Amino acid sequence: MGVASRLARWGLLAAVLVLWQLAALHGLPDYALSPLEIAKHFFAALGTRELYQDAAASLLRALPGFAVGTALGVLLGLAAGIARSFDEMVSPLVFLTYPVPKIVMLPVFMLWFGIGDLSKVLIIALACFYPAFINAYYGARATRRILVWSARNMGASEAEIFRRVVLPGALPQIFAGMRVALALSFIVMFAAEMINARSGLGHLIREAENSLRFDLMYVSLLTIAILGYAGDRLLRFLRTYFLPWEEGHA
Amino acid sequence: MKALRPYILVLVLLAAWEIAAHSSLWSPLLFPSLERIGREFWLFVSRPEGWWQTWTSLYRAFGGFVLAAVAGVLLGMLMGRSAFVASLLDPLFSGTYAVPKLALFPIFIFVFGLGSLSKIVLIFLECLYPMTIITYHGARAVQPVLLWSAQNMGASRARTLLRVVFPATLPYVFAALRVALPVALIVAIITEMISSVDGLGYLVTYSLSSLKTDRMLALVVVISLLGLALDHALVALRNRLVYWEKLDTYCA
Repeated sequence: MGVASRLARWGLLAAVLVLWQLAALHGLPDYALSPLEIAKHFFAALGTRELYQDAAASLLRALPGFAVGTALGVLLGLAAGIARSFDEMVSPLVFLTYPVPKIVMLPVFMLWFGIGDLSKVLIIALACFYPAFINAYYGARATRRILVWSARNMGASEAEIFRRVVLPGALPQIFAGMRVALALSFIVMFAAEMINARSGLGHLIREAENSLRFDLMYVSLLTIAILGYAGDRLLRFLRTYFLPWEEGHA
Repeated sequence: MKALRPYILVLVLLAAWEIAAHSSLWSPLLFPSLERIGREFWLFVSRPEGWWQTWTSLYRAFGGFVLAAVAGVLLGMLMGRSAFVASLLDPLFSGTYAVPKLALFPIFIFVFGLGSLSKIVLIFLECLYPMTIITYHGARAVQPVLLWSAQNMGASRARTLLRVVFPATLPYVFAALRVALPVALIVAIITEMISSVDGLGYLVTYSLSSLKTDRMLALVVVISLLGLALDHALVALRNRLVYWEKLDTYCA
């Protein structure tokens, strides 16, 4: 990568931050803190326990939900991708309910599973299920027939064909689905916590909003941004680790 | 029997629901019977009040969605056809892609007020990402041969963008629209659940806090039908406009 494009890469971000800081010197409304102030508050909050407790509470909702939802989605999606009768039974329901905003089920889940963490984990799992299912399904269906034929020709069993041909072929799609699901799990986690929770980053930002603590609002915002970014990076790293043959395209 | 297969799971679920509702194991508050949900549904659609609330939610969702579609297609096409624009914007988009934009909502409330505007801006921002990124990939995938022949025949840059790149990217644009439209609806409902005095999301939280579970579930049905209808309308539109590439189900 040349120097010019490397400059352009970070130039825009840097320019926005500098302009923002300059605007702050002129005096911004109360709700818009300058980047330096936000950094100051963020590092101050890093020294307190509350931030870690809220971040941990949020992650303990998002990650189990993500794990359960994607695991189920990938398993069922692969199954529907390779087994015709299962496909005909399950896929219509999944595709029918796919454009439905899953977050409207949160109040229903709160009724059934209580207002604690279980209903939030389950709604996150539900939201993550769909992209995982659909991508695994299309990944498995897109297996090239000629590969299956040659494997069968060379005497591979059905289980072996699945493990050595269908699964590796579907992995790029599965990772794409997991990436969408991860972003979704953070959104739904945050939404659920803003709607109703007594801990977590979404709760923190609501409380900060109600008490006009703008510094806390930005601290919570920055924390969630960092967590979301880190999660996405981790997933991309895993992808290049498991799929060395695919060129890493985001 | 084979033709029935797609309906088996739906019927089983509905039957299980009805059995749970009549089993008196749970309070009817938790599992209202289908009949009561149906009655509430009818009450909702037969009154103008319900249509007004639906319109409020749709107006917000569409407002942000349309703005994001226009801006996202423009940005994506520019990024796809200009290495400079791509190197300028790509880090910004891919770096903040996984960050829940919803976290900005409290700040938007202070900047744009409690009404529709803060919601529309947030919907715009959430939809902008899939629109831009998918269009970008589409604009990059345009066959060079088409561009060369356009240039060869003396088409200007703007004309090439309009007459070659745009139609060639159109299938991707529709894929992006199909990702963005449910997002718009979801964010509209979420923001209304968090802070609003109208719209479908508000009605859901309102009926829950007044323990009208049947009404709440009827609203869930309304929102689900809305999501389905919008998706079908988009696919129908796509099949008319992008007639050279047929599509009847989900496309990734």
